[in-house]
Amino acid sequence: MITPQTMLVSLKEVGSTVLYLLAAAALIEVILYLVLVKWLKYKYAFAFMLMAPAIVGLFFLIIYPLLWELRLSFTNMSLRAFRDPDFIGLTNYIKVFTEPVLKQKYFFPLLGQTVVWTVINIFFHVTGGLALAMLLNRNMKGRGIYRTILILPWAIPQVIAVLAWRGEFNYTYGYFNVLLQAIGLQPIQWMTNPTANFAAMCITNIWLGIPFMMVTLLGGLQSINSEYYEAAEMDGASGWQKFKSITYPLLQPVLTPAVLLGTFWTFNNFNVPFFINQNELESSDILVTGLFRAAFQYNRYGFAAAFAFVIFALLLIFTIFYMRYTKTLKGDAQS
Amino acid sequence: MKKSYLFLAIALIATLVLGACAQPGTPQEPADEGIVINLWTKEGETDGGLQYVQALADAYTAQNPNVTFVVVNKDVETLREDFQTASLADAPPELLWTVSDHLGPFTAADLIQPVDSLVDLGAYVPSAVDAVKDPSGATWGVPISNGNHLMYLYNKDLQPVPPANTDELIAMGADLIDAGITPLVVNQTEPFFFVPWLGGFETEVFAADGVTPTLDTPEMVAALQFVHDIKFNDGLMPLESDGDVADTMFKEGQAAAIINGDWSLGTYKELFGDSLGVAPIPEVVGGTWPAPYTSGVFFMIPKDLSGPTLDAVVDFMVFATNLENQVEMVEKLTRLPALAAALDDPIITADPILAGSAEQMTYGTPMPTVLEMRCVWDALKPEMQAVFNDTKSATDAAAAAQAAAVACIANQ
Repeated sequence: MITPQTMLVSLKEVGSTVLYLLAAAALIEVILYLVLVKWLKYKYAFAFMLMAPAIVGLFFLIIYPLLWELRLSFTNMSLRAFRDPDFIGLTNYIKVFTEPVLKQKYFFPLLGQTVVWTVINIFFHVTGGLALAMLLNRNMKGRGIYRTILILPWAIPQVIAVLAWRGEFNYTYGYFNVLLQAIGLQPIQWMTNPTANFAAMCITNIWLGIPFMMVTLLGGLQSINSEYYEAAEMDGASGWQKFKSITYPLLQPVLTPAVLLGTFWTFNNFNVPFFINQNELESSDILVTGLFRAAFQYNRYGFAAAFAFVIFALLLIFTIFYMRYTKTLKGDAQS
Repeated sequence: MKKSYLFLAIALIATLVLGACAQPGTPQEPADEGIVINLWTKEGETDGGLQYVQALADAYTAQNPNVTFVVVNKDVETLREDFQTASLADAPPELLWTVSDHLGPFTAADLIQPVDSLVDLGAYVPSAVDAVKDPSGATWGVPISNGNHLMYLYNKDLQPVPPANTDELIAMGADLIDAGITPLVVNQTEPFFFVPWLGGFETEVFAADGVTPTLDTPEMVAALQFVHDIKFNDGLMPLESDGDVADTMFKEGQAAAIINGDWSLGTYKELFGDSLGVAPIPEVVGGTWPAPYTSGVFFMIPKDLSGPTLDAVVDFMVFATNLENQVEMVEKLTRLPALAAALDDPIITADPILAGSAEQMTYGTPMPTVLEMRCVWDALKPEMQAVFNDTKSATDAAAAAQAAAVACIANQ
């Protein structure tokens, strides 16, 4: 339904926005030059001039919205108090822990579901990714082709992939149930059975997440000096001993940030739980989908803002503890 | 060197100031640059609704070249959410084509404007206008079609005669199951498709005051138990079906009947021809006729729209609902018109499908448009699904729905 006229209007709007952004960036540079170089003769003026557009962009795209959301979290903004909400202090933060955040589910059970979701996915991402990386880290014919095929899930836009998977979980027309019925088994109610729906979410996300882990760990494996393996070979070490004593410890500097990133992305994954959980089962919701529903389906904007900051605080605490516990980012690979 | 930078700074500031006078993303002023109307519609492609809306917009632009449309389809709930979000960002579309139950949230949040002074509402069917009136008498939408109600649609090749009551529905269903046909399909994910049965069991979602939820009643439990039993005990419905699956099964001849809305009539009529039957949803034995919600489809206008753009929007609304276009809508989409004068057109009076649709409307009940209805939908949905999934008893589901609705209303 996109007509040439619609495209022209869109290009005109986008083009003018880009023009204003470029003009604004140029203006900022000119002002900084006049002030920092010509007037103050500041030593690091050039560095500031290079960073300035990014700093301004980050401020308007991240800092300002965060501050606005923080302010929102202290108000009672909802449909009845939409344009002029009242300040209610910490009430929303208290409500996050004392009232259902969905229709019936409270915060801690939802947190538990999110943790289970994250742990299951990370386990299979790391296990599957490492297994595939080790298989690919050998000289063999067609390695490039295998690597390309295995990376394909990562290349497909996530929403498209998730919607395609959802179609395959359809009770009547989905391929999984067609296969099950073909071999004489009962079809599964992927969308309405809580356990089956959660499994469908995990299957989809594991398929999507393995390529990233595989590529990252493959890079780590290729950076391990082969002399270690040669020395181990000479000492008669078994495959498992080589893995335990050489591969795993030397992979830690790569594995730790990969697991950390994977944890954040999985913990905050919206697309898979939201689209696979088509029937809005509360048993399949995680924190971020609960947050979306609170904001945009239940119109509890102030409450949702407080909820978002609670989730942020959780992840921040996790990050601090994980980095201190593993110490691997300090380069202490051997435990 | 210094002078050239100064000149560049002045030139850039001047560019920004001049550019700020014509901000991107907003409709341009008329005459020289034309008006762009962003029209968000709930009409989808499957039943031809979106194509019809686009054709209307194109026809209007052909007569008024300075007014162009950007027609965007969003499903009903997405349209509501996105309109609220866009309004918060002061960037709403210029016109909505949507359902009446959006009235509650939009008026509570002060996002739309009344239309009493903009169009002659006396030209429309009174029941259609009443569907978007608030208690103070203000009217918040211009009717496009009347009805938007559910009915029992059946394939005469598989089921020559529709069941008159629920006992007949079950008996006929047993014969169809033996023949390998699914007797009945319905969207099992949305409570809108469940509420007609409440009328059959003589209950409603609100008390007499129209805002206090009454979801935990013996009648509600009976209605939930009924839909559970016809699915699991009598096997009339598939284990899972959303709107798309139900629609596909009916179109492919895998299901003998579907409970669906007037928006689907056009497509089914084209596909089945004279084999399409329309009847009221079967009467509940020991109760009464199920009462689907009736409302319609309406234009709604954002609160802050004014000036030449508002004039163009009003002119388009009048154009879209004139006699010629209303009759064309009946022909193409098989929906009851909102314009009173169109009801007398032979295309309506002589059409058995429209007659069936109109008959179902006589058993219908106006859909509540208060903001509290949002809470009822949100509360009923998971509980109804739990009963359909056999994971919760009807008694527990009704109690949980009532508690959720009360809590939601308290938080509004």
